[in-house]
Amino acid sequence: MFCDEALDTVEAIAAGDLMPVGRVASHLETCPNCALALTRARQLEASLQRRAVPAAPAQFTSRTLARIRRARWRSDQFLDVGFNLAIGLIVLAVLSAVWMLLHRTGLAGVSTDAVDVVGSGFVALAKRVAPALPLYVGAAALLVSALGLWWWAERDAAL
Amino acid sequence: MEDVHERELVERCRSGDEHAFQELVDCYKDLVFALIARTIQDRSRAEDLAQDVFLRIHRGLPYFRGEARLSTWIYRIVANVCLQEHGRPPAAVSFDDERTRSRATPSGPDRQFGDLELRDRLEKAIARLPANYRLLVAAHYLNGVQYEGLAEALQMPLGTVKTQLYRAKQQLRRLLETDLK
Repeated sequence: MFCDEALDTVEAIAAGDLMPVGRVASHLETCPNCALALTRARQLEASLQRRAVPAAPAQFTSRTLARIRRARWRSDQFLDVGFNLAIGLIVLAVLSAVWMLLHRTGLAGVSTDAVDVVGSGFVALAKRVAPALPLYVGAAALLVSALGLWWWAERDAAL
Repeated sequence: MEDVHERELVERCRSGDEHAFQELVDCYKDLVFALIARTIQDRSRAEDLAQDVFLRIHRGLPYFRGEARLSTWIYRIVANVCLQEHGRPPAAVSFDDERTRSRATPSGPDRQFGDLELRDRLEKAIARLPANYRLLVAAHYLNGVQYEGLAEALQMPLGTVKTQLYRAKQQLRRLLETDLK
């Protein structure tokens, strides 16, 4: 029975946190099993103190910083999408509110006439613009390419 | 790291200074990696998890109030990452577990216990310990982290840390003794 008590203290004794005194000390001197356990606990303590310390890989810092930049870029993208979605929903809500207002106040009929006027205006504008259409298409393509290049460069920098 | 320098570094990191964060990573990478590699014992996975720790530090720095030392806070993050890796909370280990109470009665010659093979057998035995015991053993024998530091980092009473460490070493000793039979 006393062996159990003594064995419970050997790790603390081996770590230097407890001094074997009194009954425990005399038991450890006379009981070969408990004395062996203490010797092994001391050997284990010494082995744990000598245990090799693994060093971080050479490129650890740069890889970690790159991963943090990627995570931040993804999080920014997520925020951008969320922001654009919120703006889209707000615009949709405003348009729905205006449409409902027009219907409730009877201004819908007036607005239909207004839409016709604006529509015929657009047709007239399209007829005037049609001859110069290739020039506008070219300019638009240049603008889209420039925006694409800017987006690509930004994405590359974020990575 | 000195307290003043540590606070200064945290402030620079908070203001978005990437060089300051690089300095922080350089300062703590060996400690974080060693702790995780000793606990997980898989170098490539350990690197992933060590990066996770710094990612959490980066995200958490704006909320770090400086009540504890930076190193203590980092230890806590490492502990959470390691224990999550094993999907078990620190309190899951029962000290009344019969398996940990079973006594290995040493008999016969004390062969090979102190020789060089012990290192290899020691690593294998450590791998068989519960994750929270592994973490405690890894942290305590790394740059002499004291019981008080461990208790603060793991948010455990000092007595519990000591008891858990003794239990871990007792279990290790028994695993090594069983290995010799």
